[in-house]
Amino acid sequence: MIAPVLYLIRKEFLQIFRDHAMRGIIFVAPLIQLMIFAYAVTTDLKDIKISILDRDRTAASRSLVSAMVESDYFKLISTAPNPESLRQDLISGEADVTLWIPLGFSEDLATGRGAQVALDVDGSNSSISLRALGYTEAVVRLQAMKSLEGFLTASMNRSALQNTITPSFGDSKNQISPTSQSIPHLMNPRLIEPVMRYFYNPTLESRYYMIPGILVLLITLISAFLTGMAVVKEKELGTLEQLMVSPLSPAQLIIGKTVPFVILAYFELTVAATFAIWWFNLPLVGSISLLAVCALVYLLVTLGIGLLVSTISNTQQQAMFTIWFFLVFGILMSGFFFPVENMPLTIQKITYINPLRYFIEIIRGIFLRGATLDDVLPNLLPLLGIGLVIFSTAILRFRKRSR
Amino acid sequence: MRRIIAIARKEFLHILRDRRSLAVAILMPLLMVLLYGFAIDMDLKNIRVGILDFSNSSDSRTFIREMVSSKFIVESERLSNRNEIEPGFRQNKYRAVIIFPTDFGTSLIRNPITQIQIILDGADGTSAATVANYLSAVTVRLNKEFAKEDFGIERLPIEIRTRILFNPELKSAHFIVPGLAALIMMMICALLTSIALTREKETGTMEQILTTPVASPQVILGKLFPYMIIASVDATLIFLVGKIVFDVPMNGSWFALAGYSMVFILIALSLGLLISSVAKTQQVALIAALMVTLLPTLLLSGFIFPIKSMPTVLQYVSQIIPATYYLEIIRGIILKGVNWYPRSGGILAGMSLFLIVLSIKRFKTRLD
Repeated sequence: MIAPVLYLIRKEFLQIFRDHAMRGIIFVAPLIQLMIFAYAVTTDLKDIKISILDRDRTAASRSLVSAMVESDYFKLISTAPNPESLRQDLISGEADVTLWIPLGFSEDLATGRGAQVALDVDGSNSSISLRALGYTEAVVRLQAMKSLEGFLTASMNRSALQNTITPSFGDSKNQISPTSQSIPHLMNPRLIEPVMRYFYNPTLESRYYMIPGILVLLITLISAFLTGMAVVKEKELGTLEQLMVSPLSPAQLIIGKTVPFVILAYFELTVAATFAIWWFNLPLVGSISLLAVCALVYLLVTLGIGLLVSTISNTQQQAMFTIWFFLVFGILMSGFFFPVENMPLTIQKITYINPLRYFIEIIRGIFLRGATLDDVLPNLLPLLGIGLVIFSTAILRFRKRSR
Repeated sequence: MRRIIAIARKEFLHILRDRRSLAVAILMPLLMVLLYGFAIDMDLKNIRVGILDFSNSSDSRTFIREMVSSKFIVESERLSNRNEIEPGFRQNKYRAVIIFPTDFGTSLIRNPITQIQIILDGADGTSAATVANYLSAVTVRLNKEFAKEDFGIERLPIEIRTRILFNPELKSAHFIVPGLAALIMMMICALLTSIALTREKETGTMEQILTTPVASPQVILGKLFPYMIIASVDATLIFLVGKIVFDVPMNGSWFALAGYSMVFILIALSLGLLISSVAKTQQVALIAALMVTLLPTLLLSGFIFPIKSMPTVLQYVSQIIPATYYLEIIRGIILKGVNWYPRSGGILAGMSLFLIVLSIKRFKTRLD
């Protein structure tokens, strides 16, 4: 019962390792990919190129400029002499954002009229522009809050001294209404300050979030593609019929065809994860055994897909194209790059049948947040369901053909 | 020339016979553009935030009201003690938790500055930074509101007037469609041609071709031609869907777009042929084609991840990826209306020439 399966597994391994290109694809390529992609998928935007036109040239405007430059996000590429050159910097792509501090900035700031600055953002690359916009606004807002706090505290002190609540920077328009003057506690400004604390990844390294996703991609490629093509290849070469007429039962045949790829996928996952932990200091907070169990459930899905596709394909090209078709959709709809909750509701519903979505969520939870079995269960159960459906369909189709 | 046509015709028949692969090659781009045009949104929306309100004051309620009044944030969970925070993060119930201290209401009135604690899920670092940004914007809005109520201050000391050029509504589709065009064309072309030669090697028909009087450049060019037509159909479909369904503007010239696209298609096709002339089996050819096209184009071309955030070494690597240049060009044509790219266009042309010559050379060495 077991012996014939072992022979088949041995044959499969021999076939895989005979091809030296295949050895490279299985052992070397994943590490290179992990290396390159883990470095590439940093979404932290550093060195946003900013061009500044400071018309005001006062202490206040200079302090805003230096607040920009001193934050880690910006690289001052030029101080434009006039609006035209500011605009040209943006069109030519020299700058991602431009800031225009108009004449009278410090005066407006001091009198409380509300100083204005103009911020232009290159919207042609929205992944950059959104963050550039966010960072720029954050810096300016921080400056604004500092000034506001300064005003309010100063006005409070002054009003405490003078016993009137006239804001120090108020011109006639900003005079306080007589009603509020009678309420003493209003002398104290109501100011909220948020104190941010980051769990799990205090340095906000975006790499840590992406690497588990890359691991998923690697084992998906190996397991789904190789299984699918291994079966179709035998079909194309006519050797599948030889296997069919051999005394192997369909179950033995399927086990013999899938187990080698389970072993390869586990091997790959282990090597890649170890490498990620060692080289990138990726934290593994949760339990390894839980990870192994979840990976097995996921492999049920990917191997099932590979088998299923092999039953409906006649050539390797067809098999490859079909798997690839589903894989590309799977990747982009998994939340790997784009959070699922950003998608329109109908499309969010489609993602519920996407196995990648569940497994990426699980693997991120285990690696980064130390998710326990209870925590991953809402994702693990659907994954198991999908796996069972796909795998049993594949087996049914496979048996029908073998009869 | 006649021989090239003969090879091309034969290849055409091969393609037409395999209906499913042809369907994938034509339908896939359409479906992808439609789906991703709708699905991909870089902007974080519906951010789930949990609330732990020890004060239960009217001011904390004001804060929450102000917070959810923007379309970006939704209150997903009401917590009752600190022990519940972590399990919620682990089950991905929210991205952040706001903790109002017991004396939040009174402290606002008595103390110069009142702090609230915001705990964020740092696992997704980039999103966490954005969420922090949104939440601090909420506090600023509220502070401004308070300053107006208490002191009659109408404006923040510094206000930003933001303008976004070239894509004013920051519509992701405007930015995604060109990127998808590059990704899809690269993959389809390389995958299709990667097995064009290996298939004949595996089935033994290559020897038959080699005994005929066709020369290797003729084989290569004849094999390229049919796939160029498929790829051009794909490219046309993608840009038409972008224009019609997603209103992607066209600020530059269609001719320029078509010209640069042809060069890019040629690169992708000859890359596939090169793989095909090297690989011995279809399996190796297909996987190799997938590896050199899918992930590099997706990750290293600046499609999603800005090249300038990458380490210097990878910035150099991105310089050998054709899609990097193609993306720069078509985004420029479509969104900025700049039609002339001597440097990037020249590099692309050079790449295509190099790859075609190389695959002809590689193919020749196999003849003897």
